[in-house]
Amino acid sequence: MPDPLLYLKAMGMAAIASAVGGLAIVAARRKGHAAWLCAACVFSLAAGLVVGYRLLALQLPWPPRNGLERFLLLIAPAILCVELLAAISSLPRWSVWSLRVTLALVLPRVLLHGSVYLGATEHAWPARQALLVMTAGGLLLAALWGLLTLLSRRAAGMFVPCTLQASTLCAGLTVMMAGYIKGGVAALVWAAALLATILVVGAVTRNSSRLAEGTWSMLLGVAVVGLFSLVFIGRFFGELSTSKALVILLAPLLGWVAELPWLKCRQPWFVWSVRALLVAGALVAVLVLAKRKFDREMAPLLVNVEQSTVRPVANTDLVL
Amino acid sequence: MRQLFLIGAMALGLGIMVHAGADSCSAADEYDYDLVHSSVSFKARHLDISWIHGRFNDVSGKFSLDRENPAKSTFSLTIKTASVDTANKARDAHLRQPDYFDTKQYPTIEFRSTSTKPIKGGYEVTGNFTMHGTTKKITLVLMGGKEHDFKKVKRVAFSTELSVKRSDYGFDKNAIGPIGDAALIMIDCEGVRK
Repeated sequence: MPDPLLYLKAMGMAAIASAVGGLAIVAARRKGHAAWLCAACVFSLAAGLVVGYRLLALQLPWPPRNGLERFLLLIAPAILCVELLAAISSLPRWSVWSLRVTLALVLPRVLLHGSVYLGATEHAWPARQALLVMTAGGLLLAALWGLLTLLSRRAAGMFVPCTLQASTLCAGLTVMMAGYIKGGVAALVWAAALLATILVVGAVTRNSSRLAEGTWSMLLGVAVVGLFSLVFIGRFFGELSTSKALVILLAPLLGWVAELPWLKCRQPWFVWSVRALLVAGALVAVLVLAKRKFDREMAPLLVNVEQSTVRPVANTDLVL
Repeated sequence: MRQLFLIGAMALGLGIMVHAGADSCSAADEYDYDLVHSSVSFKARHLDISWIHGRFNDVSGKFSLDRENPAKSTFSLTIKTASVDTANKARDAHLRQPDYFDTKQYPTIEFRSTSTKPIKGGYEVTGNFTMHGTTKKITLVLMGGKEHDFKKVKRVAFSTELSVKRSDYGFDKNAIGPIGDAALIMIDCEGVRK
């Protein structure tokens, strides 16, 4: 039974824990250092996720049993490690990107592990189809990651991480409205922790573009892998449709539209607004469609539950 | 030549022994689950005031009955979780999602017997029950077992009930909500002799 108040509380507490955790680590070493700030981001995100999921009583047993648990216990720590390594400036860029591409290509296989798609069941994909889906998924993530990294060099600052955060929020709500409550809530808490971390980084690096560059890149990596994984889980384990999944995933790329020559030369605030409106428009459209489907299919179930819960009280009143 | 004759004789002897062994095994009759005349249904408490009823439409299984040595009888059942049917499409779709049966990760509920004991009016069958990726040893009391020849096809039927706690099988405790943790599963199975 969905409990919106509990979800809001978990999101709020995750955001607070992320902000406090991140600021505490930053404050521990006042002299600006990119690697230190990246470590603060990892701690900030981890603190938010732990607090948020604990409040939700989300069980994460070992070994992980389903897609969501594999994401939270395997993929999330892996991407945090990769991005921490990427923050070490002495590491050559090609090695960092090799790690990122490897993670992107392996990710669909990890999430689908043990599922009906890859098993020896009658519904299992043929080997060629399985390979095609997993490779396409991995390449889509790698392409998305690369294009957003390029975009973040043009649209400096927190724009790209913020669009990824908004997409994750949208993914959470859409997955939840499609009937996968646990998956949706996990995405909402992830989005809340990410938002708080983005705000902390924005506040800390407002006077240092050198510091900001590496940290945004790190947050971008974490955010894009998180978004892709949650959408992938919603699509293959929940009831998220392919079209909605693709729009949510690709919405942050709409920021590229502002790179058109006749738009690019406009005032920075105008370009920023166009980018934000395009991304927000796509995400709102997905939410509206998801809400309409929810009202049509899922809401009657909840209405019946609410009516039933009232009935015994009314009977008691009558008896009394 | 002598060695060749010896090997031939040994092979013949072995063949006779295997054949005799096979004959002694055939004391057990093999039956297939007849989906048309069987059902696996369940009910769970709703708000602790009423019951929600449902069934699984896709079930398969087989059993072998050894009347002379009942301990050698075996029973197995496979239920396709995606075939859950509670007479409400939206609820069924929700039940298939990871919050409940997680049919994309756990496509089947299975029972495989490990030991069988005859009791009055049926059998007491102990075996491994796997649901939602968790396996537990349970004992089913199968009532029935009477044979019936219908149009020259031998049929045997059993029925049983078992109560399971969803939380024991790794279902998300948060998702239990207004639906009770315990569910009663009713199995009525008619087997057709192979």
